[in-house]
Amino acid sequence: MAQYVKKDDDRDEEAEYSPFSGIEKGAVLQEARVFNDPQLDSRRCSQVITKLLYLLNQGDTFTKTEATEVFFSVTKLFQARDVGLRRMVYLIIKELSPSADEVIIVTSSLMKDMNSKTDVYRANAIRVLCRITDGTLLTQIERYLKQAIVDKNPVVASAALVSGIHLLQTNPEIVKRWSNEVQEAVQSRAALVQFHALALLQQIRQNDRLAVSKLVTSLTKGTVRSPLAQCLLIRYTSQVIRESSMNSQTGDRPFYDYLESCLRHKSEMVIFEAARAITELSDVTSRELTPAITVLQLFLSSSKPVLRFAAVRTLNKVAMTHPMAVTTCNIDMESLISDQNRSIATLAITTLLKTGNESGVDRLMKQITNFMSDIADEFKIVVVDAIRSLCLKFPLKFRTLMGFLSNILREEGGFEYKKAIVDSIVTIIREIPDAKESGLLHLCEFIEDCEFTYLSTQILHFLGIEGPKTSDPSKYIRYIYNRVILENATVRASAVSTLAKFGAMVDSLKPRIFVLLRRCLYDNDDEVRDRATLYLNTIGGDGSVVETDKDVKEFLFGSLDLPLANLETSLKNYEPSEEPFDISSVPREVKSQPFAEKKAAAKKPTGLGAPPAGPTSAVDTYDKLLSSIPEFSTFGLLFKSSAPVELTEAETEYAVNVVKHIFDKHVVFQYNCTNTIPEQLLEDVTIVVDASEAEEFEEIATKPLKSLPYDTPGQTFVAFEKPEGVPAVGKFTNVLRFIVKEVDPSTGEAEEDGVEDEYQLEEFEVVAADYMLKVGVSNFRNAWESLGPDFERVDEYGLGPRESLKEAVSTVINLLGMQPCEGTEVVAANSRSHTCLLSGVYIGNVKVLVRLSFGVDSAKEVAMKLAVRSEDEAVSDAIHELVAN
Amino acid sequence: MLLAVLITNSEGNILVERFNGVPGEERLHWRSFLVKLGADNLKGVKNEELCVASHKSVYIVYTVLGHVNIYLVGKDEYDELALSEAIFVVTSAIKDVCGKPPTERLFLDKYGRICLCLDEIVWKGLLENTDKDRIKRLVRLKPPTEF
Repeated sequence: MAQYVKKDDDRDEEAEYSPFSGIEKGAVLQEARVFNDPQLDSRRCSQVITKLLYLLNQGDTFTKTEATEVFFSVTKLFQARDVGLRRMVYLIIKELSPSADEVIIVTSSLMKDMNSKTDVYRANAIRVLCRITDGTLLTQIERYLKQAIVDKNPVVASAALVSGIHLLQTNPEIVKRWSNEVQEAVQSRAALVQFHALALLQQIRQNDRLAVSKLVTSLTKGTVRSPLAQCLLIRYTSQVIRESSMNSQTGDRPFYDYLESCLRHKSEMVIFEAARAITELSDVTSRELTPAITVLQLFLSSSKPVLRFAAVRTLNKVAMTHPMAVTTCNIDMESLISDQNRSIATLAITTLLKTGNESGVDRLMKQITNFMSDIADEFKIVVVDAIRSLCLKFPLKFRTLMGFLSNILREEGGFEYKKAIVDSIVTIIREIPDAKESGLLHLCEFIEDCEFTYLSTQILHFLGIEGPKTSDPSKYIRYIYNRVILENATVRASAVSTLAKFGAMVDSLKPRIFVLLRRCLYDNDDEVRDRATLYLNTIGGDGSVVETDKDVKEFLFGSLDLPLANLETSLKNYEPSEEPFDISSVPREVKSQPFAEKKAAAKKPTGLGAPPAGPTSAVDTYDKLLSSIPEFSTFGLLFKSSAPVELTEAETEYAVNVVKHIFDKHVVFQYNCTNTIPEQLLEDVTIVVDASEAEEFEEIATKPLKSLPYDTPGQTFVAFEKPEGVPAVGKFTNVLRFIVKEVDPSTGEAEEDGVEDEYQLEEFEVVAADYMLKVGVSNFRNAWESLGPDFERVDEYGLGPRESLKEAVSTVINLLGMQPCEGTEVVAANSRSHTCLLSGVYIGNVKVLVRLSFGVDSAKEVAMKLAVRSEDEAVSDAIHELVAN
Repeated sequence: MLLAVLITNSEGNILVERFNGVPGEERLHWRSFLVKLGADNLKGVKNEELCVASHKSVYIVYTVLGHVNIYLVGKDEYDELALSEAIFVVTSAIKDVCGKPPTERLFLDKYGRICLCLDEIVWKGLLENTDKDRIKRLVRLKPPTEF
């Protein structure tokens, strides 16, 4: 018998025992045998199902055999007449999610229910079938589902529509055939049906701009029956607005009036959705913004935490792009600093940090100090990030802000939090020269009592770079040498390197540093001893005051000038052999990051260490692929691979894109092909390239694709020779040529005979940007100074009238194909001028830096000043030619 | 996507845990995060008063009902406002089934029916039904009255 455990609080007597107390999976599975009884006890069966659900809802799992056994027993329950039990059966089948070969057992029962006269049986059967079905079964029931979508019973229609939303992920081609029915359901009088239909319709048609636009136009004029649907409509409306351009004659934005009218809706959900949509409009004007801000401001003093949170979260976002528009809310925002809800308080503070003016900084910091002690680390990190941005915005306030950061650095906190503070101090030191000495001392004090090895080593590295350049480098030595005495081996090794840097850079300190380094020769760790030995032997001078050789400095402390992620991958791929690892074989290109990550990275200037490393690059994959093809294996080192260029429109029969691989003397085009027709098999797929508009290129090899079955991407290649090291450009016209064979959809077998056919593809160009690698630098100013003005070329260009400054900047960045540095690719809204810093490596491994200054006048005429520095005069000129053409 | 519906007793023991689109290895993390969030913030909160938080790009709306705590986690279109709408449906359905804000015992007594209600309300991360009277009828396999 189950043992009931009495809890020792004084609640109601009966509340103290759980009906599931002592529940055990094995026992419940035994109990599930009642499902097989010839005389079913519905009540008992329901209880057992409840127990199974309880187990599953606690995170318990069944093995495959257990699940199968229960599932087979459950199917017997379709014989019972009890409706309550039937409802439970539907649920437990979904929870057990039987495998494809088991599903067949219930299919007929469910099909029967799906045609039942009782509507709710139908709705449930639809939901279960769609949850457990696969593509083949789906085609069988498609007809019923289409009927169900337009069923007059809203429960049935909703069940079919929500099923459609789920099925769209797995069987898009089937669900897309339902769009007429779904369109009809959008007009339904039942609020939820309309909501679900709207969601599904938009997903079906999301690639069809015109259809979405029509949908939005008709619904914004018609009736939308529920706030949920209204929110969806607002979202789709902003999508349409994003894709359409502003009406240039009246300056009005399409659908703005609709969004604005939603600000007066009675449902708060709709008001917020509209307000957010307005604040997120591109190039939103203050006139457009004002009504949304006013509404949001009212919600700041709402009694409901959810509404306050939603309001402050939205305003926080607005403050990133339009800080001035939010200042009117500052008083309300300040009262939220003491909000009980810490999320709200943190958002309020970070918003104030963005919108506040210089004179208010001190008062704000006082308020924050009290607040910091009682919030969790994750909130503190957000505040620290905001303070760093504030400090960069108001450099004169660095004393107050640096003081605050050093105070919180001394308090308790986890690694991420401490790292955020250290990163912020480092960024401030880099950007504000006056803050350097005090900042370095704060960091020194921190490593005296730092429990995180990672942070200690990073700070030591940074001290080694910045410390020797200060007015009195000797004062840091004590802190560094203390590490050698007190810390673990990793930190000791870093400290030895830092000491050596001081020795190499500050000649007057060299004798004393040598004394310290010699002591490290007796360390009990190999790495520490090795480093000390290396430095003592290379820095030279036997500890006398002499200058260290420049080459030695470069060898010991120079930067690798490689993206570390690429180096890491190359080292991992290196197999021990006679041939030593060649550092020049490491690809230098920084792969562009996915959009979301890019945004996150732009928000957080990196503190310590190297430039932000991209995720493991596709370059290696390409490199491996190409070198595995004998025809291309002699082409040497792959310089660059472009992003794929689409050569077909979306949703055509064959999808083809091309990746341009650039070598020193060759170019290889990799055509990625996908066959989207299930009834066809393509064989001997090649691309016929017409290079008559690319004079310097000569076709030398092609690699056809043997077979291209439905939905399995394949590649075919064409290689060209070009003059060595020359950035040759040209236009290429392409035709896809293949033998097509009919496939029997039921058996999947192809016919023996095929027909030769062709398919015209779009043309593409090899442009100068293809010869430029995106290689970032961690500190642009330093890199610019170190390249020197010898090969600097400066000129001015008129870019004519442009849509916006932002558009002009991104066009030039794309034209040059270089890596934007320090987040300068982001143009503040409504700004009249902008400076953009770019860096890259040109073919022939020539480092190039570019400084672009833009200005725009009232007629949207954009002027640009282009300054180029590089290691080669000809390359600086080539960059100018690129722009001039 | 409505990523999770979690219901615990007031000590933080799990009563119902339903995840959608959350990888298995992250579930434990979410469970402990939510339970801690409740322990920190739900003391003294009135029945059905909504609390809100965000963690990374995910929103959490949670509340107390009798002796159980209810948490909803969502992202993208299921932001704090959509979640408040959804949690309102969940609390009304539970009150309806139990007849009052439930004790833990009452909740467990009505466990099967509550699972059915949740099944009607959220289907694999999408909000399906929002009307408590309709839900009440649907879990008994009765057709809705309003059409």
